[in-house]
Formats: sequence, C-alpha cells, structure tokens
Amino acid sequence: MLLANREIRRARLRFALLSGAVGLLVYLILFQQLLLGGLLQSFTSALDAQDGTVLVYSSAARKNVEGSVLTPDTVEAVRRVEGVAAAGRIGQGTFTVVSEAPGKSAEQVEASVFGFETGLPGAPTRIVQGVAPSDVNEAIASQEDVAKGFGLGATVRTEAGGVPLRIVGLTENSRFSVAPTLWVTYPTYEGLRRAANPDATAVFPTLVAAQPTEGVSPTEASTRVTAQVSGVQALTRSQAVTEAPGVAAVQQSFSIILGLAFVVVTLVIGFFFLILTTQKASSLTLLRAMGAPSGYLVRNLVVQILAVVGVGIALALALLVGSTRSGGGSLPLTINPTTVARTSTAIVVLALAGSLVSIRRVLRLDPHDVVSRQSLGGLG
Amino acid sequence: MNLGLKELRRRPGRFGAAAAALVLISVLTLFLGGLLDGLYLGSTGALRAQPGDLMTFSGNSKLSVIRSRITGEQRAEIAKIDGVTAVGGVGFALVSAAVPNQSEPASVTVIGYELAPAGVPDRPMVGEAYADQSLETKGVRIGQVLAVGPKQLPIKVVGFVSDTNFLQQGALWTAPTTWREVLASARPDQTLPSGTFQAVTVQTARATDPAGQASIAASIDRSVAGVRTVTRDDAVLALPGIKEQNSTFTAVIGVTLLVAGIVVALFFALLTLERTGMYGVFKAIGASSGQVFAGVITQALVVAVVSFLVSVLLVVLAAAGIGDALPLTLVPRRLATTALALTVTAALGAAISLRRVVRIDPAAAIG
Amino acid sequence: MTALQLTDVRKTYQSGDDEIVALESTTLTVPSDEILALVGPSGSGKTTLLSIAGGLLGPTEGRVMVGDEDITGHSPRELTSFRRRRVGFVFQAVNLVPFLNARENLLVVAEFAKLDKKGAKERAEQLLGELGLGDRMDNLPGQLSGGERQRVAIGRALMNQPELVLIDEPTSALDTKLGEQVMQLIVREVKARGTAAVIVTHDLRMTQFADRTISITDGRIEH
Repeated sequence: MLLANREIRRARLRFALLSGAVGLLVYLILFQQLLLGGLLQSFTSALDAQDGTVLVYSSAARKNVEGSVLTPDTVEAVRRVEGVAAAGRIGQGTFTVVSEAPGKSAEQVEASVFGFETGLPGAPTRIVQGVAPSDVNEAIASQEDVAKGFGLGATVRTEAGGVPLRIVGLTENSRFSVAPTLWVTYPTYEGLRRAANPDATAVFPTLVAAQPTEGVSPTEASTRVTAQVSGVQALTRSQAVTEAPGVAAVQQSFSIILGLAFVVVTLVIGFFFLILTTQKASSLTLLRAMGAPSGYLVRNLVVQILAVVGVGIALALALLVGSTRSGGGSLPLTINPTTVARTSTAIVVLALAGSLVSIRRVLRLDPHDVVSRQSLGGLG
Repeated sequence: MNLGLKELRRRPGRFGAAAAALVLISVLTLFLGGLLDGLYLGSTGALRAQPGDLMTFSGNSKLSVIRSRITGEQRAEIAKIDGVTAVGGVGFALVSAAVPNQSEPASVTVIGYELAPAGVPDRPMVGEAYADQSLETKGVRIGQVLAVGPKQLPIKVVGFVSDTNFLQQGALWTAPTTWREVLASARPDQTLPSGTFQAVTVQTARATDPAGQASIAASIDRSVAGVRTVTRDDAVLALPGIKEQNSTFTAVIGVTLLVAGIVVALFFALLTLERTGMYGVFKAIGASSGQVFAGVITQALVVAVVSFLVSVLLVVLAAAGIGDALPLTLVPRRLATTALALTVTAALGAAISLRRVVRIDPAAAIG
Repeated sequence: MTALQLTDVRKTYQSGDDEIVALESTTLTVPSDEILALVGPSGSGKTTLLSIAGGLLGPTEGRVMVGDEDITGHSPRELTSFRRRRVGFVFQAVNLVPFLNARENLLVVAEFAKLDKKGAKERAEQLLGELGLGDRMDNLPGQLSGGERQRVAIGRALMNQPELVLIDEPTSALDTKLGEQVMQLIVREVKARGTAAVIVTHDLRMTQFADRTISITDGRIEH
C-alpha cells in the first residue's frame, strides 16, 4: 500500500497525534472495564462463591447484606417452606484484624467475615489451597490478600476481643466489600461477635443460604420463600450479586462513561479522516484521472484507518499493563483477555463505521474534475 | 477585527468536528466530576457538619465510625484535657425507614448527637428528628412520623437540614436515646450501653490553629487509654471508599483532559495545514507570526469555551433525567476547574501548531 | 527618488549536490514614479527577482534598497515590518481571504500594520470606489467575478500606501478586454499615488501600459 504508507511517513505528527488520542481513549475504556470487573468482583463475589443458590435477606435490608438481620424464628420458617431442601445460617460481619504472620508489622486491616454452618448450604466453593475450616477459630482467606498477611498457616487476631483465627485454606474470587474476606464456621462467627460486643444480648444470623429441592428452580424457591415467610426477601444467588445496592449504580455510571468514550473515539477518527480526505481531494482526483480504480483508493484509506487504530490499541494495551503493574490498591486488577478482545474489535468496527463518510467521498470523486476544477476565488 | 474570531463567526462549520469532540469530552469530564462530588458529599456530610475540630475514635477501630466505641468514662477524661472546650458523643445507625404514602422505604442514618451541627436544635427531643434535605425527594415531609428500622420505631420529622448525609443515606438527627433504641432494634449484637457512643466530637480552643489542634489531639491520645484522635478532615477521609474514589476518579479525569488536549492539537494541526497558503499571504503582506498565531489561539479558546457551555447544558439535562439513580452533583467549583482545565488544554493543544505557523514561508505565497 | 535599487544581486539555491542559479548578478534601478514591466518565460527568474525586491527572499549576494531602506541584511522580523510598511503585493493566484468581504480584505492590512482604524475604513472604501467596486464592498470573494477579485487584490496592495507595488501576472486568468481594464486601473492608481510598480508578466500585450519593459531569461536581464 504505497500511497497509505508514504502519506503516513510524510505526516508523522498528524498520525501520531491521532493514534495517541485513540490510544488514550481506548486505554480509558479498557482501564474502566478493568476497574469495573475488579470492583464488582471485590464487592460481591463472595455471595457467588458459596453453594446456596437462594439467599434470604430481611426485607428491611433491601438487598444489602450488611443491613440484614434474621431472627431464629424466621430461619425456622424458611426451613419449613416447601421447595427448600436445606438451609444454613450465614453470619456476616466486618472486623478489624491484625495479622500475626512473621514479617508483617502489626497493621490493622478490616476484614469481611462470613460464618457458615458446616454441612448446610452456604459453604465456600472456590477453595484453591488448603482445607475448609472445621474447627473453631479456623478460617480460610482470600488469596488476593496473602500479601497483607493472610497467607496459608498465618494467624490473624481481631482487635476487638483478641480472637485468633488460623488460616487453613485460601479462596479465589470470593471477596466482599473490597476487603480481605475470611470464611469461618458459624460458631466461630458467633464468638467473634460476642468478643467484639460484650454487651450483645444475642447474635443473629445475617442471611440464610438455601438449596431448593429437586425439580424446583432457585427462582421458584426464592419466590415461595418471600411469599410465605414474613419480613424476608429471598433472591437467587445471581440476583444477590447483580442487585446488591451500589452495584447497580456503579454499573450504570460505568456504562455511561464507557458509552461516551466509545462515541468520542468514533467521532475523532471519523472526522480526522474526513478532513484528510477533503484536503487530498485534488490529488486523489488526479490519481483517478490517471486511471487508479476507486477500490484502490478506498483500500489505501482503510489501511490507514487500521494502522492508526492498531497503533492506538497497542498503546492502550501497553498503558493498561503498566497500570496493573503499579497496582490498584485493594482492587485485584487482572486483565480479562475476552473483554480486551471484544473492546478492540468494537473499536475497529466503530473506526471503520465512523470513516464511512470519507470512504463515500472517495468513491464519489469524479476524474473529470481534474480539468474543470474552479477556484472559488480564494484559498483552501 | 480579530481574524481568528471572524473566521469562527463566518465559517463555524469548519470547527464543528473539533467542537463536537470537545463537547463530548467535556460531558465525560463533568460527569466523572459530578459523580465524584456526589459520592463525596453524600457520604461525608454528617462528619463534615460536626461542630468540633477534632474527633476521637477507639484506637482499634481504624477510624471506622461503625466499629468504634467511646465510653462515658473516656469521654469525661477527654473533657479534662487542656485546650478541650467541649466534648459531645455522636452515634450512627444505618437502617431503613418506612415513609407514609410511599411504597419504597428510604435508607436513613439515625444519628444521635450531643453537640449540634449548624441547622439542628441544640437539645434534640426524644422521638423527634431533623431530616436531611435529600429525604424530601423520598417523600418525607415535616410533621410526618417515619417508622424506622426493623421494629418500626416512630420518629417524627420536625425540620430539615442540608448536606448532612452519611454513606449515601439520608440523615435523621435525633436525641441519643432514640438513636440507641434504633441501634438496639436493628443490630442487637451491637447494642451500646448508655453513655457509650461510637465517636466523640471534640471542640478545642484552637479552631484555626492546626499545630495547636495536633498537639491537643496528641495529648488526648496520650492521656486517655485506647483512643485515637484526628482532625475532622482526616475523619472524613477515613470513611470507606473516599480515598480510593478520589484517586481513581481524579486519574480518569486527568486522562480525559489529556485526550481533550490531543484532540484539539490534532484538529488545529490539520486546520493550520489547510491554511498554509493563506497564512503565507498574511505574512507576505506584513503580518508577524505572532499575529497569525494569536488568531489560532483565539479560535482554540473560543471553541473550548463554547463546547464547555454546551456540555454543561447537556449534563444538567442528563442529571435531571437520571434523577436519584446516580449520586450526580454539579458543584460550582467543579464547573470552574473543568472549564479552566479544558481551556488551558485547548490552548496548549493549539500551541503545537505554533512551530508550523512560524515556519510558513511568505515567499511561497508568490507563484 | 529611487523606489527600488538592486546592486549586483544574485540568488542561488542548493538542490541536492548542484547549485542552481535563479538570478544572475543583477543591477536594476526603478525610479519612484516608474511602471516597469518584467517579461520572461516560466523559470526565467522573474518571480525570484520580484520576491527579492519585496523582501520575501534574501539575496545570496548583492544589495537591495527600497526607497531609503537597505533591506539586504534584514532579519525575518525586520523584513516583515518592512513589507508591512513599504510594499504592496498582487499575487498571481488571487489569494483573497475567502471568509472576508471585499472591504475587510483591505482592512486586514490595516489590522496587521496597526494603522488607525477609522482612517483605514475611509481609505479602503475610497480605494474600492476608485476601482469600481463601490457597490460590491460587502461581497465575499465567492460572490465576485474574476476581474472584480483582481481589482480587490489591487486595492489591498495599495492599502498601506507603499512606495513599491509588486505585481505577479495580473492578467493571466483574464481575457484580453478584462486584462486591459485591469492594467488601466493599475496604471491610474499607481500614477495617482506616485508609487512605483514592477509588473511581472509573460503577456506581451500588456507591456504597452508600462513606462519601461525589460526581459529576463535564464536568470539574466537583457536591457
């Protein structure tokens, strides 16, 4: 593609600027998607990572785990609903802990703690190392937080009450509320609560995790529970994740931001090539007069577009890798190849779509204009 | 007659491309900024409204309001520290409340206080509360009785106060007794004995002296066991998510503005290229590079300003459409800084063409 | 008084390894009320000579004086100032500013020269009137005919009251009748103001309007 090549080489600054703009915008998009993924995962993946396909909240909690509290009577009522095969209590709390791992300074860390009943729904499903906790004061931790002192074999101690928890296993993708997440047995959870608040009159579970009987779908089961038990709202596991308060708002915000970014990329690329084509109109017309087929000119234009977008995406990826290297603080930023591939394809498609006007203009050039081109009595 | 302006006025279409891109980029920037401000204001209002310069938390709570505990004895000891003029407990309970005639309950924070922020009564009555203005959009009106928390405790709304929300939930400022009741009903495993609050607000005699405040804070922590005292601003920053939100959003906004600069640079590089002939003629008949360039900069600035104004209109309309779904707030300061940043980046972007303008050879205007 | 004095002016270019001589050592005197026609084929060096005379190009050797100003060693900034004050150009490709009307195309000169605004407006309108464009002053170049645009260009060249007007191929885009009209206008305006003019043309029909004609071929003037 001689034409495309030569033009880019002669006008390096222009094409470099355009690639730079595209690269930054694509980086914005990719980085936001990365953030979103990490945020969502860190917010609510714990709910997804346990084996109860139905989660029962108190209706006053409005799908907020931390606001949910259930009485023992309610728990019994859920167990008795037809269609519920088994139900286990889940206790959730946030506690300040200090790691006693060697080498770790006594830094306070906030941890989300999930207490589940052994043998009943609600057990963690994504254990990648070690074993599930069985004994009192055993815990499994999120492996994303090993560096904070939550490694296998380490002990962490709660600030309030000084309860020690020994880490016997590690999970992946099972975090809650963007904090290191520990899974313990239900009695351990009760112990933690009492230690933190000696004045507590009783310790109540936060949620009930349930599994429906054979032949009953989680949706059906959750509907029955909500209808038959007063004061509760039952959600399927996936609903619990997507409808958690804050998640919806985060997703909406990101959608708007990403949408805008996509539109800006399309516009910028489209207009740039439109201006370029208009500027080159006389030379392009000359080439047509000399016998160059329209297809040849269009192909050159497309090559340029692809080159610009290619360099831009490469730049974006480089920046993306750099960003994950420098760390997202408490967010695990792992690049999802599927998302990146999908976004890159979308950008290429949008770039071509945005340049359709230019392509149309090239196709409409009339070689005859080379002789009859009138000057409008002015410049440019 | 500024040539740059004249061309803008006579041939506005030529700048349409750059303007459209800038409008969108500006909308993006304002949207991000608005979200950030909304999140910040809606989460931190209650703490920002505290009438003391310092706040004391328990030492092991990592400045988390929810997990902190300050007992009555600790409070009395803090009051004795040199330089402390008043100490007041403050407690928070995050619950939902049923609003009369509304199908959806509202998320509220019941706040029991001893030292009153501006706008709420010094001596709150038991069972009554001043509600944050944001609850009006949820249907709350003065005189209504809300059913608060899982036990539907009645709290009567007797007034409104603005910008005092806590963690995005509407504040209900009430007497400590009422707050304690609500807390016990909602989270029986977190009941607090009478006299214990989650944190205390500390008023000092050194309101405008940061060094003085720091030393008072230090003496409190030294003399009273198990507490940690920080300035009100630091307490605000310690609220969950605030710091991360700030850094992330600000970084994204920065990148977006950078893109704006590049887009302007791009368009003006192309425009200058088109005009090389004309600029050559100007120089031939005696215009200096500076005069030519002044026209270019003027165009960049005007396009930036107009694009910004259009974007503000669009964002305001969008905000009206979005309503409550997103915490979007447009603060005058944000508008001003965005306008400034956009204008400066546009000028810098146009400046890239300066070298080309200088290098235009007037001799090329002939033949 | 001499409007233009070129003394042993020579202009060469480096093109790859070769040295190209655009203008051989030239000496030329143009008195202040003379219209000089410079005739020659393309590539003869006439445009180079015009550019040097107007301070758009510096000579490789020799001395250039316009009026009482020696512009030989002028820096680009000084040359810009010089052109602003003392020279008027009419270019071959009529390059009016497309988004300014006829009057504004003249006023733009005053703008650069920072001349008095009110006086400039009066002079612009007077010039355009003399050039027969009194009722076309608000028209944009796109709304003017070829001949009318040329006349606006002439007006622009005279706006700053130059000592020397340099005109490059004024009639190449016009038919004979229009060309004669334009030349007559040039002569009338230039003479009325006591300005000297150097007109480069390859059209021998137009030399009758000049006081003196010299030809130039291959960079060398034949007197």
